[in-house]
Parts: sequence; C-alpha cells; structure tokens
Amino acid sequence: MNLARRALLRAAAAAGALAFAPRVVAQAAPMLEGGRLVVVFLRGAYDGLSAFVPCADPDYERLRQATRIPAPDGSEGAAIRLDGRFALHPALAPVLPMWRDGILAVVPAAGSPDPTRSHFEAQHHWETGIPGRNSEAPGWMNRLASMEPAGLREQRLVGVGEANPRILAGELRARLVPRGPQAANQGAIGNERMRLALADIYAADGRLAAAFRAGTDSRMETARDLAAEMTRADNGAGPAAGLVQASRQLAALMRSGGQLRLGFLSAGGWDTHANQGGVQGQLANQLGGLARALVELRAGLSRPGDLILVLSEFGRTAAENGSRGTDHGRGNALWLIGERVAGGRMHGRWEGLAQGNLNEGRDLPVLHDFRAVIAQALARNFGLPESRLADLFPGAAWDARLDGLLRRA
Amino acid sequence: MIRLLGSALLALAASAHAQAPEDAAAWRAASRLGYAPTPALMQAIAAHPRGARGWAADEVERAFAASREAAKTPAHLATLQGSIPAAFAEFRAEREALRRVRADSEMRPSPQDLPTRRSALEAASWRLLACSNPELENPLAARLTEFWFNHFNVFAGKGPVRPFLGHYVLHAIRPNVLGRFEDLVLATARHPAMLFYLDQAQSVAEGMTGPFGLARGLNENYARELMELHTLGAEGGYAQGDVRELARILTGWTVDPSAESGFRFVPRLHDQGGKTLLGQTFSADGEREGQQAIALLAGHPATARRVALRLSQWFVADAPPAALVDGLAAEFRSSGGDLRAVLRKLVAAEAFWDERQQLFKTPYEFACSVLAATGQSEPERLAQTLRFLAGAGQPVHGWQTPDGYKTDARTWLAPEALTRRADFALAFSRDAAPPDHYRRFLSPLTRERIAQEPAALQGMLVLASPEFMHK
Repeated sequence: MNLARRALLRAAAAAGALAFAPRVVAQAAPMLEGGRLVVVFLRGAYDGLSAFVPCADPDYERLRQATRIPAPDGSEGAAIRLDGRFALHPALAPVLPMWRDGILAVVPAAGSPDPTRSHFEAQHHWETGIPGRNSEAPGWMNRLASMEPAGLREQRLVGVGEANPRILAGELRARLVPRGPQAANQGAIGNERMRLALADIYAADGRLAAAFRAGTDSRMETARDLAAEMTRADNGAGPAAGLVQASRQLAALMRSGGQLRLGFLSAGGWDTHANQGGVQGQLANQLGGLARALVELRAGLSRPGDLILVLSEFGRTAAENGSRGTDHGRGNALWLIGERVAGGRMHGRWEGLAQGNLNEGRDLPVLHDFRAVIAQALARNFGLPESRLADLFPGAAWDARLDGLLRRA
Repeated sequence: MIRLLGSALLALAASAHAQAPEDAAAWRAASRLGYAPTPALMQAIAAHPRGARGWAADEVERAFAASREAAKTPAHLATLQGSIPAAFAEFRAEREALRRVRADSEMRPSPQDLPTRRSALEAASWRLLACSNPELENPLAARLTEFWFNHFNVFAGKGPVRPFLGHYVLHAIRPNVLGRFEDLVLATARHPAMLFYLDQAQSVAEGMTGPFGLARGLNENYARELMELHTLGAEGGYAQGDVRELARILTGWTVDPSAESGFRFVPRLHDQGGKTLLGQTFSADGEREGQQAIALLAGHPATARRVALRLSQWFVADAPPAALVDGLAAEFRSSGGDLRAVLRKLVAAEAFWDERQQLFKTPYEFACSVLAATGQSEPERLAQTLRFLAGAGQPVHGWQTPDGYKTDARTWLAPEALTRRADFALAFSRDAAPPDHYRRFLSPLTRERIAQEPAALQGMLVLASPEFMHK
C-alpha cells in the first residue's frame, strides 16, 4: 500500500483521539536521541557484483572475465564465502567480522524506480528521495532532521568532505566540515576583532549574515571537537584513503557529546568503465579503502541505535564492456550496519544473473525501492512513524518483503 | 527561507543603489566579463565613450581576436609549449619509471616530482595567471575558457588525462570559445584528454580488439555524456537506444600518440552496420558518421536551449529571465551556433545590466578576483590559491565527474564558504592590500564600518566584503 495512503488512513483513525490529546500531537518527540545515522554515498555507481560476488551463479562466470573474482577456495586471491550464494571481495575482508557478528546485512538488488542511467540525475533522486524529479528539492536527511522538535533539529546534520552535498541541503543548516587537519583551525575568525567586523559588514545582507553566523559557529565547535583527534590524522592521498580520514573525523564529531545525529560521507572513483580490475586493481583499491573507513566509523559509532548505510546511485552492467570495465546499470547492493540490523545474511529478493532475469538484458534489476529499504531502517531503528515516512518519501510503498531486515528497537 | 531570501534581496538592492550607477555598471562589466576591476580595466571602462556597455561590446571582439592568437605562456611554465607526442612520451616514460621502482620503495619519487603532475600543476597555474593578469590574457577570453572547460570537463586525477590538460585548455578549448559551437564539440571530441577521460579511446565495434590490444567492444561512456552534458541535456529527448547507437557511430575514434593532433580514426575498429540516432539513419561512412552525428547534436534545438540557459546562468543569474534564455537560444539557432553572436547579444541584453540580477562568486571566481585585485602572482601565492580551492571544494581541473562544477549560490554559499574566504583574504592582504579605488565600489555602510578598523585589517575586510563576494 502507498505510504501516503496508509498515513491518511491512520490519521483518519486517530482523528477522534486527537481531540482528546492535542498537546501530545503538537509537541513532536525526538526520534534520534537513541541513535545516529550515517550515510556513506559511493558516487559514480560502484560495482556491487564485485563487492558481494554471486559466486554460485553459473552466469557470473559467463558475464565476467577480466573483472571476475574467483570463487572462494580459502586462498587470499579468491572471494570469501558468506553464504550459499554470495562471497565477499577479498579487499573487503576488514568488514567480515561485522558479517559474522550479525551486524552487517545486504539487500543485493536495491535501487531507484526511475530508470535514468545518468549519474547526476540518479544521485539527485537518491539524495532528495524523489525518483524521477530533477528539479530543486531539499535533501531527505535535511527533511528528516526537520521532523525533530525545535531546539534539536537545528543541530542534527553533519557532513565531512563535500562543500555542500544535496542530501544535507535544505531549510536546516548542516555542519559541513572540510576533510583533513585544516578542520581543526579557527583561522581568521579566531581573531575576535575580525570576526565582529565581518559580522557587521554582512549584517545588511540576510543571506550572507546567516551563512557567516553558521560558518563561524560550526568552525569554532569543530575546531574544539577535533583538536585532539587531528593530532593522529594521517595524510593519506586518493579518494579511498581520504574516506578513511573523513570517517574518523565524522565519528569524532558525532561522538563529541553534541546533538549531531545524521552524518554524511561520500567517496568518488567508482565509475569503473575501463580496467576495473579483479582481486587487485582499481576497484579493489577502492573497496579496501571503503572497508577501512567502515571499520573506523563502526569503532566510533557502536551504540545499539547507531546505523550506517552504504549506497550508490545505481549498479553496473552485469556483463563486462569492451574495456575490461563495466557500464551504467540499475540494481545494486545496499548495505546496512548496526546492532539492530538482522545481519550476517542477505535480505530481499534475488533472481540471479540468467539472461532472462536481467533488466533490458544487461543489468541486475531493481527488486527493491531504495526508499523502502531506508524506510525499514528509519521505522525500526528510530521508530519513525509511517506518517512521517510518507512525508519523507512521497509516493514510496512500504515493502513487507523486507520486514525482517531490522529487529524492532 | 523565504523570509531570508526576501531580506537578502532588499539588502542587495539597497547596496546596489548605494553605488553610483556608473560604478555599479563598471563593477558588473569587469567582474562578469573578467574577474575583477583592476586599475587598468577601470581606466579603459571610464575612458570608453559609451561607458561600461560600450566597453563590454568591444570586449567581445577583443576576446575573439585574442582567442584566435596563440596563448601567451610565461617562460617558467615550459610544459605548456609541449606537443601532444611529447606529452605521450612523457606519460610513457613516467609509467616505465614507476614500474621499475615499484619494488623499491626507497627510490619511489614523491608524487610532486612526477612529470605529469608537474605539467598538470603548470596548467592549473596558467589558469590562475590568465584569470588575474590582463597583460597575459584577455579577461573575457579567460572567463570563457573557464566556462567551456567546465562544460567539457575533464579530470586531472585520471592518470592518462593529466599530461594533456594544458594542451586541452590551450588548443581544444581556448581557440574555440567564441567560434562555432560545433567546432568546439569536435575539438574536444578529438582531443586525447577527452578521448581518455570518457574512455572513447577504447570503444570499438563489438568483437574487435582495440588499439591497445585490450579493448573488445563498445564503451558507452563518452556517447552518453556527449548527449547528456555536452549537447542536448538530460531532458533533450534521447533514449538508452540512442546512447548505444551514438557509441556505435563513434567506434574507431581514438588516440594517436605520434600525430600532432593526437587523434586518429581507425576504420578497422569502426562498426560498419547501419545506425539510427534520434530517428535519423546513418549508413556506413566511417569517420564522417561521427562528424555528422556531432553536427546533428550541436545544431539541435535542445542544445541551443541548454547552451543559452547555461550562459545565462553563468553571466546573469542563477535563475535567469526566460526571455533572455529564449533570445540567446534563438540567436544560437539563427547564427548556426556562432558563440560570438550569442555573446554579443548577451552583453547587449538589458538583463545583463539589471542590478536585480545578482550572482554570488564561486570559490574560483573569488580567488581569481583576489589575485587580480591585489596583483599577486608569485608561485607560492599560486600554490596557496590552489590549496584554498581544493579545500573550498573547487580544485582547478579537479572535478571528477563530467558534469563540471555547479555555479549557483545554493551550492557555494555554504556555511564554511565565508569563513574560508576570510582566511584567504587575510593571507592575501598582508603584503598587498587592494588599491584604494576599490572603496568606491563598497556601500557607504561597509565603507564606514571598515574605516573603524586599524589600517592593517582594512585590506582584508575589503576583500571579504559583501560587495566583493558578488560579481
């Protein structure tokens, strides 16, 4: 059933009760007190079929040659068995303990209902939560934060690395922190005289004044929170190493005792059209960095209510292209990490890679709407009510086939 | 949000009216058609009998003339003089050297010492010099080079692209910025930087073995972005089937390490079958198929609209008036994609001079305007600027994906933007404050508040002032 329709029915049913207890309804309760949510966006569409290898599928070998990950045989140069159907890329070995501890689950064929193969459109859809609409809209994490009570909602959002990611953009200001040691410097605004003079000359321009105020607050808090953390910051280069550093920063900021509950990170370098590599190579290096980053994040955010989502705008073609790489596809593996996650297993439907099961004869199909996966996580982990889910993801349907994905809080 | 925007508009209108109209027009002309009003630029605008508008019209012709001459490159940026075969040789030598030392970590050179990194650094340095020194480069030519590079973005982080960056900027983009749009598309399509960046160099007919003995079959990457980003736009009315057909049409377009152009068409790798693109059939005709496809895309009404919209957003406002966009699109179509004709129309449009049409500078525009205003160009200053841009989210030649940087205030007026700019302004005003004539571009309110501060801080406050954040 459509989420909006369910919400309507529920609202109608509650209408009588409403008259008796208007105050309870007017004052929203905080959802995010008990846990934190981090979204890790792999920009460029990562090859999920190399991360979670369908090693038992006879078609896998037919479709993949140069990018094939050998079936598990216990050696280092092969995939690591997860269950009867799937195996883990060896570069992801650092996250294997999470799978074994039952806190890592994967939905192997999730994606957006909109069929675009444009990175930019698809990312926009994932970040706004509104597939098919390319116009300006606030990010869903920003809208989620705005459902918190006044006084809390203003300090929920934090991102490390990107200047202004769409998913965090909207009515509420997110704390946006640069990656690396510079985040711990106060810079020019550390000088009070300069800070006051700047605040005065921006005062007449509301937009600049608000941005400057938010920027100085954020910088001073960040400098304070990271002062200790940055002394052990490494100076890694490249997208994957950068993600490790950003993960450490984000975990430190969200742990520091403030109200930050919704965190965002991203990494590029996943658009492997050519020379993708197999057990080693381009994609393997990226996956290795991702695994280390997730270990950092999890080490910092390990309360029962903490949840990490790893996602990407679409998948890649089931078959290799002519350049030992893969082109833009559709369905892809979406990861969930957290104590309430029913981990150590794959969730949702999986139909295999036989020609007849592929979307347009070339891609893993989208068997689960990404919004339905996130809705499960928000409802079960944070107790987000259905009416709120309908506001967050208009037009998305509740997907009961994913009901076992998380244990109820 | 609405309240904020409303008060911002009021404030902007107030500050705009606070300037003398001729100063506001001069600021707009110099900051939008160049990066900042340098003293020489101000003099030229003031001396023009028709003021800023007359200067702007002439500037289009001057930029065109400049773009048709070889770019001036300072002697210390020697790699910018290099040919494409030399860049290929450099790339091969570097790969070889890295392979030899791979086993021996002691001998591994630091990344800055690698020749292709050095040449990429020189290309980025040239961009900053060109944006800030009118003696070296016509300011509008520098602006249009920035605009069209961003439209046909390539990424310095992709290994094989890096050695060709400088050549791409100077020889594929710059000479065509005020020429025919179709020539610009063709120049980028055939350049090794683009052929490598979007993998066209490796896309061959299904079943064929590619130029490096590696590739086998189609790669759709370039064909898709050619339609989605370079020409029609995502809403331009093509389908996945068209992407595949265009990729088939372009098979055989690849690099040639020994040719001056760096490009060759290899008939053996070309898909000889018939194709249909946007409803038009293409019979087997080798390289001409690709040329015809590019002509079809470059002249398409959706392309005219897309180019008109992007130019209007860049030069006039994040949400430009529809009449302006329509007018430019019509000019694009009737002139056969003559970018000079479109620019002439743009600088003559009332909307261009309308003080209500505000634009917030991107980090790159801000940094270039600081360099221009303070006249600083020492290598360490350029290095500092490149670091600032990397931190602010806009590294030069450093955007990974082919959509290029966004240019709107929504993207760049983020909370950290102004604090970072204040740091940069502070660093660049220590030795060289902006000249005094900048004060007349400030509103009385800003001017009076700045005057209360010690002289040592005033330069920084001018560079960080609200007026200086807008173009």
